[in-house]
Order: sequence, then structure tokens, then C-alpha cells
Amino acid sequence: MSHSFDGLDVLGDVSFTLPGGTVACVVGPNGSGKTTLLRLVAGLLEPNVGAVSVAGDAGRRVGYLAQQPAFRRQFTVAETVAFYGSLVGESTDVDAVLDRVGLSAVADRRVDALSGGMRRLLGLAQAMVGDPSVFVLDEPATGLDPTMARHLRAVIDDLAADGDAVLLSTHDLHTVDRIADRVLLVDHGELVAAGPPAELLAESGATTLDDAIETLGHGGGTVGVSPGLRGGDRT
Amino acid sequence: MTELGYVADVAEREFRTVLRTPLLLAVGLGYVLLVGGIGWLGGTGAYLALVLDLLTPVELLVPVLSFAVGYRALLGDRESGELETIRTYPITGHWYVVGVYLGRAVVVLGLVLLSFVLAGSVVPTSDTAQLSVVASHPTADSPALYLRYALATALFALVALAIATLVSAAARSTRGGLALATGSVVALVVGLDSALLGAVTGEHVPTTVLALSPNSAYRSLVLELSVAPTGVAVPGGPTVLVSTAALCAWLTLALGLASRLAWR
Repeated sequence: MSHSFDGLDVLGDVSFTLPGGTVACVVGPNGSGKTTLLRLVAGLLEPNVGAVSVAGDAGRRVGYLAQQPAFRRQFTVAETVAFYGSLVGESTDVDAVLDRVGLSAVADRRVDALSGGMRRLLGLAQAMVGDPSVFVLDEPATGLDPTMARHLRAVIDDLAADGDAVLLSTHDLHTVDRIADRVLLVDHGELVAAGPPAELLAESGATTLDDAIETLGHGGGTVGVSPGLRGGDRT
Repeated sequence: MTELGYVADVAEREFRTVLRTPLLLAVGLGYVLLVGGIGWLGGTGAYLALVLDLLTPVELLVPVLSFAVGYRALLGDRESGELETIRTYPITGHWYVVGVYLGRAVVVLGLVLLSFVLAGSVVPTSDTAQLSVVASHPTADSPALYLRYALATALFALVALAIATLVSAAARSTRGGLALATGSVVALVVGLDSALLGAVTGEHVPTTVLALSPNSAYRSLVLELSVAPTGVAVPGGPTVLVSTAALCAWLTLALGLASRLAWR
């Protein structure tokens, strides 16, 4: 798929498949097109060329966590999740969702009394509402303290273990190293490399993921794309 | 899930949002006290005189109240980014806007009717004679006149709120929203009204065109429903049917356009 804003190409000819149970990290410099890619997958933008297809039943198929999740300050954490539950038309077990992201203790706290990290976890709870099969998380670990970041990674691992596909963007290569099954390197609006972290390391000849991304991002390598990561729709 | 199900949930959330926003509560309380105060300061013993006392202030204050309650309904969520999150749910922008509108409409209607109850309570409790300069015949005055006035005002408030919702859907920033809201209130209360009044003073322009302005349509509706039946001469204007149809058209068009703009 491709996308442009006002005639300016911001994403060109990107194609990949994301199987269920996979965590894929989108990495790349600022302004490279990561957020645009995520917004396309989340259905917030329509690609100018191509399409996004998501396997699954009707209902909510993509759970989305914005880069800066925001919720109405007048409501409590539990009320917020309950409201989003009402939008999917199923009875949502608010306690279970909050327990899963570790916010049970603050269920009755107003949103404006949450820390930035807790608000991000509430955003993750919101993304889980409706039991989607694909999660799109825009820089979910940004601003989290180490404990919360660890908890977030555990939740993401849980989602993948349940068979859900997780696509997230991050600048934190530590997170990539810990949780990524696949890495999608986006640079100048193009998918310049994709594959498991070990494969990127091997094919770039680098010893660290940081160096591999640096090399590949500047066109210094010709890493092949893993079978299934190109030329197909995300499922 | 049916649309009605989540429309009700969205409406409830809007209603509770307004009730939990101290500034909006203060504006609402101010509106009720102001309208009620005007009624009590008039100290009239007749419903017809009360209608005439309230007509102009209410015509000015209702758009202000509706815009205060409605202009950030969609804009606030767009600015914070929450609207983007909501868009990832399997709901349509059209029904979402209907829910937002209904929730806030309940608040506006409640405040408008409360203010009328407060102002209207002056008539039965007044010590002054039940006659006034305009309601010179006691049989001509009736609570029904006041009830019709309240219903016409409720419709006018719904129209003003629909236009406020449209502004909220069209604006892309707080500054833009404020400018649009202020401009809309001024245009509604002064601009469009004055232009149409100026036009009908010319020859060959039927007074029916006054219905193009929500304020003129509302005023004509009140004069026809609550003043003319007493025998008091009222200025020529659109009929009750035309005024009502014009207000309903404003409401429908504004909400329809808002629902198209909200998801963009």
C-alpha cells in the first residue's frame, strides 16, 4: 500500500503479512512514516493505493493505542473502559481488562489523576476492549518507568501468546530486542528491511540491532525480506 | 449491536460530562437565574406580559447557552486525540454525532425549561392585578400561551445546539472553534436577522423569507403562537407552519453536516 498527504508521498509500496501470535516492531527515524503505517493498519487512514485486510469476524478487529492516549478527565478508569465496552456492543468485563493491564487498584480513580504511564496502560486496556485479533500500538513504552515498561512487555507477550498479532512502533531498541519476533524497518516512507532480529543482524553483518538498523536504514545492506513478510496482506 | 444501543451510551456520556464540568454548570445556573430573574423583576401578573418580557432576552441568551454547552462537544475530543481512538471502533460518525447531540440536548432543554418554570412561577404568586397593558382582557391570558412559548423556545434551543455541534465538528482548534462559535452566535443573533429584516422592508420581498433566519423564525413562531391568539396585533411574518419547518430544516441540515465533518 502507499499513502500521500497533499501530493507528498509519505509511504510507498509497503507490503507485509503479520501472522497471529507475532509481535512486530516498526522502527525507523522520526518522520520516516512509522505512525502513518500504523494509522493505515488501524483504519484511521485509507491508503491511496492498496488495501489492508484483517482476518477475523465482524466487530472490532483492530485495537489501537495512540501515541498520546487521551480520555475524558471527568470519568474514572472503570467508567472509561465501560464506555468503550459499550461501543462494541458486548458486555465487557471491566475488572478483568483492568486486571490484565494492572490498573485494578486505580479503577475508581479519575483519569486526570493518573500518571502518564498509567494513562498509557489505560490506553492499552481500551485497545483490548472488544477482543480484537490485531493490536496496533504507537510507541507504547514511551515515558514509562522500567517497572511499567516491563509490565507492558509482559502484557504484549500475553497478547501474542493468545494468538493475537501485535504491531508496534518504538524507538526503544531494548524493547525490540526483548519482545520483537519481527522487525519492520521504515525509512523515507519505504519498508527497507523486514525480518526476525537475528536475521537482520546476520544479513547486515552488525553485532547489535542498533548498528544493523543504522546500516540498513542508510541502504548499506541488501537484507532479504523473510518469506511471508512481503508480497502479502497482513492477516 | 444496534445503533440505538451505542447512541444511548454516547448520549449518557455527554450528559454526564456536562454535569461533571463545573464551568458549564456555572453557565447553566447563570442562565436559569438570569431568565428567572428577568421574569421576577418584571413582576407581571399575566403570562402574555411575561412572554413579551422574556422574548428578546431569551432570544439572545439561548444561542449563548447552546454554544457554551455544545461547541466543544466534538472539538475537545478531536484536540485531545480521543476522537481518533473512538474512530477505531465499529461505529459510524453519523450515529456518534447523534449521540453527542442528544446527550447535550437533554442538558440544554433541562436548563431552558427550568428557567421557564422559575420565571413562570411569578404569575400565580404575583400580588399585582392579572391585567396588564397588553393583556387587557383577563380571558385572553392563559398558561397555555406560556406553555407554547416554552415549547417554541425548546425547539429554538435544539436548533442553536445543532449549529453549535456543527461548529464543533468543523473546527480544528480551540482558537478556530472559539472564533467560529462567536461568529455563529453573532451571525445568528444579529447578522442574518438584520439582513433579512432589511430585505423585507423593501418592496416585493415576502415576509416569509424571515424564516431563513432561525432567530426570525423563532420570533415569528412565538408571536403567532403566544401573542396573536390574544388579539394583540403582531408584525407580519412567516406562518407557524413555515417557521416550524424552517427551524426543523436548520436542525436537520446542521446535524447532517456535522455528522459528515466529525469523522474527517
